[in-house]
Amino acid sequence: MYSGPVSTLVSLLGKQLDMKKRQFITAVLSVVLGCSASAAVAKPSAQEILAASDAIRNPDHPFGLTTTLTEYRDGKQTDVSTLAVYSRADKESGQFRSLIRFIAPARDANKLMLKTGNDLWFYDPSNKASIRISPQQRLLGQAANGDVVTFNLAKDYRATLSGEEEVLDADRQKRNSYKLTLAATKPDVTYHHIEAWIDSANNRPVKARFYSESNRLLKTAYYRQYENQLGAERPTETLIIDGLDPKWVTVLRFTNWAARDVPEAWLQRDYLPRFKPE
Amino acid sequence: MRATFALVTTLLVGAAGAAGAQDPDAAALSLPGSAPQVAQSARAWQMFVEGAVGRAQIRNAAFSEETGATERVSIDLQVDATLAPGLRGILANRLDVDWLHRFQQRKEVNTLKEAYLSWQPRHDVILDFGRVNQYSGVANGYNPTDFLRDGALRSQVSLDPASIKKNRQGSVMLRGQALWDGASLTALYSPALSKAPNASAFNPDWGATNARDRALLIFSKRLSEDLNPQWLLYKDQGAAPQFGMNLTKLVNDATVAYVEWSGGRSPSLLAQALGQKGGEAFRNRVATGVTYTTSNKLSLNLEYQYNGTGLDKTQWDALSRVSLPAYVRYRQFAHTAQEMPTRHAVFFYATWQDLLISHLDLAAMMRRNSDDHSRVAWVELRYRWTRDEVALQWQGNSGSLLSDYGASPLRKAWQVSYRHFY
Repeated sequence: MYSGPVSTLVSLLGKQLDMKKRQFITAVLSVVLGCSASAAVAKPSAQEILAASDAIRNPDHPFGLTTTLTEYRDGKQTDVSTLAVYSRADKESGQFRSLIRFIAPARDANKLMLKTGNDLWFYDPSNKASIRISPQQRLLGQAANGDVVTFNLAKDYRATLSGEEEVLDADRQKRNSYKLTLAATKPDVTYHHIEAWIDSANNRPVKARFYSESNRLLKTAYYRQYENQLGAERPTETLIIDGLDPKWVTVLRFTNWAARDVPEAWLQRDYLPRFKPE
Repeated sequence: MRATFALVTTLLVGAAGAAGAQDPDAAALSLPGSAPQVAQSARAWQMFVEGAVGRAQIRNAAFSEETGATERVSIDLQVDATLAPGLRGILANRLDVDWLHRFQQRKEVNTLKEAYLSWQPRHDVILDFGRVNQYSGVANGYNPTDFLRDGALRSQVSLDPASIKKNRQGSVMLRGQALWDGASLTALYSPALSKAPNASAFNPDWGATNARDRALLIFSKRLSEDLNPQWLLYKDQGAAPQFGMNLTKLVNDATVAYVEWSGGRSPSLLAQALGQKGGEAFRNRVATGVTYTTSNKLSLNLEYQYNGTGLDKTQWDALSRVSLPAYVRYRQFAHTAQEMPTRHAVFFYATWQDLLISHLDLAAMMRRNSDDHSRVAWVELRYRWTRDEVALQWQGNSGSLLSDYGASPLRKAWQVSYRHFY
């Protein structure tokens, strides 16, 4: 659990102090340090840290990008697919709504998906059918992993600060991070709870673990390859490790970032057959 | 010495195991995929060539069954090109060449599925002109709101409903669509161009899809994140207007439920088939079902289908006894219209992606006519590479001689096909 500066200071005073004295000093120091800390700079709340991290992953205006998903099993590359994605945040919920067009492989080219939270529509241009699919219905396999990326966590989860700790990032470098525990505020989200490590120096997401209601690890995500894109340093690669089978790994690479006009009128089932990214 | 070596080995293995336990993600993070990759760009055209061989058990004119070989080659082309800002040209064409009896009889069918121009002068207005495959509906096996399916099926290569929707020809039309935030209105007019269908191999077959003047209005409105119904109004030359509605609902994280309905005053399907006047009544057509998906990519769909214009059990049983020619004509008419000949049916469809091994997919379908208890079943195993697929298919019809599926001359068939994408 959280071991703050007060308990560290008390432990430095030595083992000579008996228990009662230690408890008393701890209480006094807590009050004094607590007051002085709040008088100096107000520490951001866990929810604010999470929102700042969301803003690094996703621009705050409508945008488009190309996602290349490379799938590995047992260390061998097994699949590559490419998607063109247009996204904008919903006016009311703040959650992202996305139009996705499949570019590769050839069999899936020009297939489309509309994603608004759990409302998913899949469109195949060869049969002109728009099919409503459930979040669990993975018509195109690994593309389902895209949902851990264009995703405003602060809108659907309540964050609590579990502590600050050093965590290994994707390059196996130690990062001082806030460890946040996220609890779903809606019953219909895909992940019941999440552990997120966010760099305490700059609010960059470092890694996250996604869990089911039964506390089963579903996915681990690492955010890496930070580059300046659309006005901020953003992760241009996310590595996802399957919770059940750690040898099943998907790397998502984001390129062709661009600010795009994504009209509200496009984000509906009857526009899906019309969508063609530039 | 040996003891020292064993101790060192144990310590090293132990240390490695401890490191692995502490950092289980290290292996994944060391994968060679982290180098920047150049994203593939979109292409204006898609094409595949498919070859198939199989055997079919067929009931011949003498009512005995014989087995014959079948071969097929298909070329499927789709083009979606941006000709100028806001102007797209769309072309979809398929050529099927079939052989029967070890290449003795050859049959070619070219299906011009789509050929139209699409102009989007503003982000919320779109106009289309040409041959368009206008599909409407949310059900999997039977689509009462798919009003323009009549005459669309020219070459059927599979019983898979997805394949039937893919390989059909569109209607020539002028279509416009206006969009608002969360709402859309589509209006189309499809004129009469030719009276008779033309089965010649390379004929565009305007008569099959544009034999009458037709018009359709489609309005959809997003009522909430979960509800986005579509309402339809259809008018066919010389017939009463037909109304339609389709709706889907997410039941839980794994289940989607849907209902699709159309209705209006019309003669029975039999009266339409025989060209008889009168007997108009308000008749309903419904398809409703659920699709459930397990966490290991198995999707199960069960659908109930109702056609209020079809014959009920008593009428269906009596038709072939009263007039065999009328029975034959009725079946042909229902097949062309892609309508159910009787009132009730049940449809089951399952897909299992990555069955047992990655890239191996299973699909299975069963239709059961609830009025005469005849059945048709279809199963497919498909393995996918990046640009190639191989598939093994089996299908079988069962039922009494003059039942919906029992009457089909094709009793059983299997086929192996290979598809290459360019």
